Amino acid sequence: MHPVTDLSFDNWMTQLRKGLLELAILNTIAPAPLYGYDIVRRLSDVDHLVITEGTVYPILSRLKNSRLVETYIEESQEGPARKYYRLTARGRDDLHRMNQHWDSLHHAIGGLRKERKR
Amino acid sequence: MIEMTPAARERLDNYLQRMRSELRGTRAVVADEVEQSVREHIEIALAQAQAPVGATEVIGILDRLGPPERWLGDEERPMWRRALDHVRSGPEDGRLAYLSFGLFVASIVLLPIFGFLLLIPAMFVGRAWVELARDRGEPLGARRWLVYPAMAVVLAFATGLLIIGPPMMAIAFALGPDVESLLDIPTSRLGELRFLAGLGGVMFGSWWIIAGGFCAAFIRPIRFVFSPLLDGLRRKHFAVLAAIGALVAAAGATLIYYRH
Repeated sequence: MHPVTDLSFDNWMTQLRKGLLELAILNTIAPAPLYGYDIVRRLSDVDHLVITEGTVYPILSRLKNSRLVETYIEESQEGPARKYYRLTARGRDDLHRMNQHWDSLHHAIGGLRKERKR
Repeated sequence: MIEMTPAARERLDNYLQRMRSELRGTRAVVADEVEQSVREHIEIALAQAQAPVGATEVIGILDRLGPPERWLGDEERPMWRRALDHVRSGPEDGRLAYLSFGLFVASIVLLPIFGFLLLIPAMFVGRAWVELARDRGEPLGARRWLVYPAMAVVLAFATGLLIIGPPMMAIAFALGPDVESLLDIPTSRLGELRFLAGLGGVMFGSWWIIAGGFCAAFIRPIRFVFSPLLDGLRRKHFAVLAAIGALVAAAGATLIYYRH
């Protein structure tokens, strides 16, 4: 493959991943509170989403700063106390809107791809 | 606290130090909180490992966490850190432009101890960046404001020196100790003033004619050295300087002739 094409594809992937990671984190903790390590493990199971696990922690801190998530500490019998992350009411509202937007984008791109195949 | 071998502890400490340094000054995230979370992550990941934990296990976890330098988006990082990275990351990223600005700032800070001498390398480093950007066909963009200050100050200084430097020295030389016997200076106050103004006019005017001709002859190297600030410079500008010089010299000669 041409090196310039490689570079622009990598850049595109990085940008896409950056935007999606936030959405993925919020969706991961939406059903129930999770601690950081558990969030990272779950996201790592999604192909190509988390390249470096550490990236998740600054995003969690930013989401907390933006009051979309909140934390609490819970003791654990299998190691250190764990910091759990859960959605705030505002986080839940934002996530709902983000998911709607994602669905409509996904639908629109799907439509474009179908047209191209015809 | 997990028991580790000294090598493993050193690896971990170095990593945490890098992380703290990378997150310092970032407004979007709370550095202490991220550090606490990463420590928790490492402790949970190593909870099942046999004590003392060796460097291999720690390196494996740190590799998966990835380099802290890649955790934040460029827009989240403090401006000074981005500037530092630009300086480090090679000419193609414009490090010369940042270096030029750094030297310019240093020249101001160190002004009392001959800091102004740094303006010359600052200007030439900036000039080199301009040339590199042109070679690559890239627009100078907003980064031109990093190199313009040093270039503008040197250009202003050089212009000032060119316009008033030599005639001032010539006047100082002309008004030496034996001047009164040699130049027939009038004794009246008005006559003396007329003579001095005339002398200044002749010296300045004559020099401007010479400087105009000299600069017109060497317009290309002058334009090249101070490009892009002097890209619009033409020979006619020096012709104007020479014409003004001729007028001033003529007026000065007239004043000297009618000094009594």
